Amino acid sequence: MEDHEYDGIQELDNPLPNWWLLTFLGTIIFAYLYYLHYESGSGPTINQELKADLAVIEAAKAKRGTKSDSEEELQKLLASAAVLNEGKAVFQGKCAACHGADLQGVIGPDLTDDYWLHGQGKLADIATIVRKGVVEKGMPPWDGQLKDAEVSAVTVYIVSKRGSHPANSKGPQGEKIVSN
Amino acid sequence: MNETISRLEEVTYDDAIVRKFLLACMVFAGVAFAAGLLAALQLAFFPLNMELPWLTFGRLRPLHTNAAIFAFAGNAIFAGIYHSTQRLLKTRMYSDRLSAIHFWGWQLIIVAAAISLPLGFSQGKEYAELEWPIDIAITLIWVIFAVNFFGTLAIRREKHMYVALWFYIATIVTVAVLHIVNSIEIPWSYMNSYPVWAGVQDALVQWWYGHNAVAFFLTTPFLGLMYYYLPKAANRPVYSYRLSIIHFWGLVFIYIWAGPHHLLYTSLPEWAQTLGMIFSIMLWAPSWGGMINGLLTLRGAWHLLRTDPIIKFMVAALTFYGMATFEGPLLSIKSVSAIGHYTDWIVGHVHAGALGWNGFLSFAMIYYLVPKLWKTKLYSDRLANVHFWLGFLGIVLYYVSMVAAGITQGLMWKAIGPEGQLVYPDFVETVVRIVPLYWARALGGAFFLGGFMVMCYNVYRTIAASTEVSNETVRVRNTRYSSAGEGHRALEGMVTVFSVLSLIAILVGSVIEIYPTLSLHSYIAKTANIDPYSPLEIAGRDIYIREGCYVCHSQQIRPMVSEVLRYGSPSTMEESIYDHPFQWGSKRTGPDLARVGKKYPDLWHFRHMVDPRSVVEKSIMPSYSWLVKDKTDFLSLRKKVSVLRNLGVPYSPEQVAQADRLAEEQAKSVAQAIHDQGGPEGLERREIVALIAYLQALGQKEKQPRPTDQVTVKE
Repeated sequence: MEDHEYDGIQELDNPLPNWWLLTFLGTIIFAYLYYLHYESGSGPTINQELKADLAVIEAAKAKRGTKSDSEEELQKLLASAAVLNEGKAVFQGKCAACHGADLQGVIGPDLTDDYWLHGQGKLADIATIVRKGVVEKGMPPWDGQLKDAEVSAVTVYIVSKRGSHPANSKGPQGEKIVSN
Repeated sequence: MNETISRLEEVTYDDAIVRKFLLACMVFAGVAFAAGLLAALQLAFFPLNMELPWLTFGRLRPLHTNAAIFAFAGNAIFAGIYHSTQRLLKTRMYSDRLSAIHFWGWQLIIVAAAISLPLGFSQGKEYAELEWPIDIAITLIWVIFAVNFFGTLAIRREKHMYVALWFYIATIVTVAVLHIVNSIEIPWSYMNSYPVWAGVQDALVQWWYGHNAVAFFLTTPFLGLMYYYLPKAANRPVYSYRLSIIHFWGLVFIYIWAGPHHLLYTSLPEWAQTLGMIFSIMLWAPSWGGMINGLLTLRGAWHLLRTDPIIKFMVAALTFYGMATFEGPLLSIKSVSAIGHYTDWIVGHVHAGALGWNGFLSFAMIYYLVPKLWKTKLYSDRLANVHFWLGFLGIVLYYVSMVAAGITQGLMWKAIGPEGQLVYPDFVETVVRIVPLYWARALGGAFFLGGFMVMCYNVYRTIAASTEVSNETVRVRNTRYSSAGEGHRALEGMVTVFSVLSLIAILVGSVIEIYPTLSLHSYIAKTANIDPYSPLEIAGRDIYIREGCYVCHSQQIRPMVSEVLRYGSPSTMEESIYDHPFQWGSKRTGPDLARVGKKYPDLWHFRHMVDPRSVVEKSIMPSYSWLVKDKTDFLSLRKKVSVLRNLGVPYSPEQVAQADRLAEEQAKSVAQAIHDQGGPEGLERREIVALIAYLQALGQKEKQPRPTDQVTVKE
């Protein structure tokens, strides 16, 4: 017991618990070594780690290959109800916010008419725009977010709605493409 | 020890001031908890934002945090300090007048905050939102508090300072330094200002402040209170005097360095991040020193845990303190931060500390003090127990749901499939997943508030039964001139030396960590390849800050694959160099916005601000429909741009002179674009146009624009 007291509070002077002291020393040693390793030793910087991780992603992308959207292959999918259903789901989830639930055009253009701002309205054109986007017009690239099958499905779904004349159409934008 | 024998002297303590602070503490606790509960419910159910500007989450959250920290915890601290200091020093406070100015000044500051924050007056810096006139008032009142406190030390009748007083000294000294440095700002109106710090500078200063607000407003003063009220309540001697010494100095010296753990993986220089991390880890043991000294003081008195609600609250408070101070270092480890940062895990962590440690310790103190101050018995121990269990259940529910939400969302953000694509590319998917946990959290908050209301009733009945209220008079022996002792003991008798040493202890880390970054900034400015915001974008940015967008959106893309895939290239130090204040954010309830510019058409933003659900079906963001009605303040732009120019943002004199005209021109073209894309006409003078201009500028200010499909990573 220490010989002082404050407003009735007395103090013992027990030794510091060993486990506590060891913890304290341990964290100090760890801190020192950690700093040495990462700031002046061989430890990688955050950006070096990022580069390594990005290389893995690039490799995965390369393995996936660049899908070339062929008109014929996409044509074949038009008959598949399953693909159209999947396409509808993707469209409602990702595209409807700007193009409208009925593809009538809201922020982006009407996708059911014969007028096209980018490309000729062919299946392969649409698939490319879905992938790459038209960034300056606000159409985001979906390449990193949609799988190849989803891109195909949503493309086919869009084309299947051609000529559906939805209510509240945004009206024609771009050039009229006569034959398709 | 050869103590000078002296006569007994009579002292009458000023308990009236303690009663005032105590009641103010309870009133504002109610406000803080209710605001917190409403904010929690808004996250679970967005219609509760009610499309009222002053009640929307972005403005309510700063009100909640400021009320909890400065009004509730602040008044609790002052009540405890005024009560215990007089007794530990065997003297009345130095000046009753200063005590009164301190009390009324502080309450006035709180009222000013409660009015100005909902009105949208905000500096956009967390826990430092209050604008410059209030900042000055805080400084003045704090100085008055300090004069009163150190004056009391000067007239003490006790030679040595007990450990509680060491913690009070560290609190008073450090909070002054933190508040002043972080609040250096240049006004551009009677209620608005821009901080002198920008970008990475501002980030570092702000989190040095922000973290040490936790350290020196929510930790050291409460440790001081614990050191007084726990041995008093348990009537046991403190476990270890030397542990007090070691953990006090360890805590004070190390805590100040830990701020950069809020900025791991940001564009803060990496060495500073690493320092922040390692000092946070070294902080573990000094923090636990306080916990074990408290818990081991109860040796031989553990039976009180069954019978005495005060001890129950204290033990739980210390346990939550121990838990939070273990979790803190854990979250500071870079790889853990990579998952936890920006998520609700941090919110859970903070509330384990705020509700568990600060809340429960304050409640214990209130249950201890009320019967003493009103000279009666507590109305009902049983109700105090009910309060304990409601509160405890509330905290556990809160904590568990938030940690689960945080880890779930953190892992969803990071998930990458075998094809190298994000598994959850839609941000809102990760939000929808945790909404049930938001309900659970709100329920936890409701329990906590319910428990508090039980306490209010209990305290009310106790006070109502009181027949006599007076200041306590005691007879004390003056030991001011007893022997000084040796070593640390001698230091405890030297107030000035002790205070200066505390100041030095906190300045070492502050200077080493902050100074290089401040000077670094002038170096970047010369090479920066960045255009400043246009005047209209500045107007938009001020709306962004006013609405508290930074409360839910970060502007800092971390150098991690999942972030690069989701948001683009990592943020650079240069990009925010002209941001007074920085807007990196600390929580992502919505997605990061650092590179949102040009990602969507203007019309998308228009529709999104008016009704977020019209473009993102499951969004929980509030609607900001008033931005379509309210008019942009073009007139103040010359003043704003001129202040920014004086702070070093490279505007030409013409840009300053023509700021409002330039802004009106740009507003016309944005409004035209919205109309062309199919939106309504005639928006050019509306706030929404300024905000959209700002959002479209984010990540677009590099003079040589980076290709959007290319990721750039610096060596």
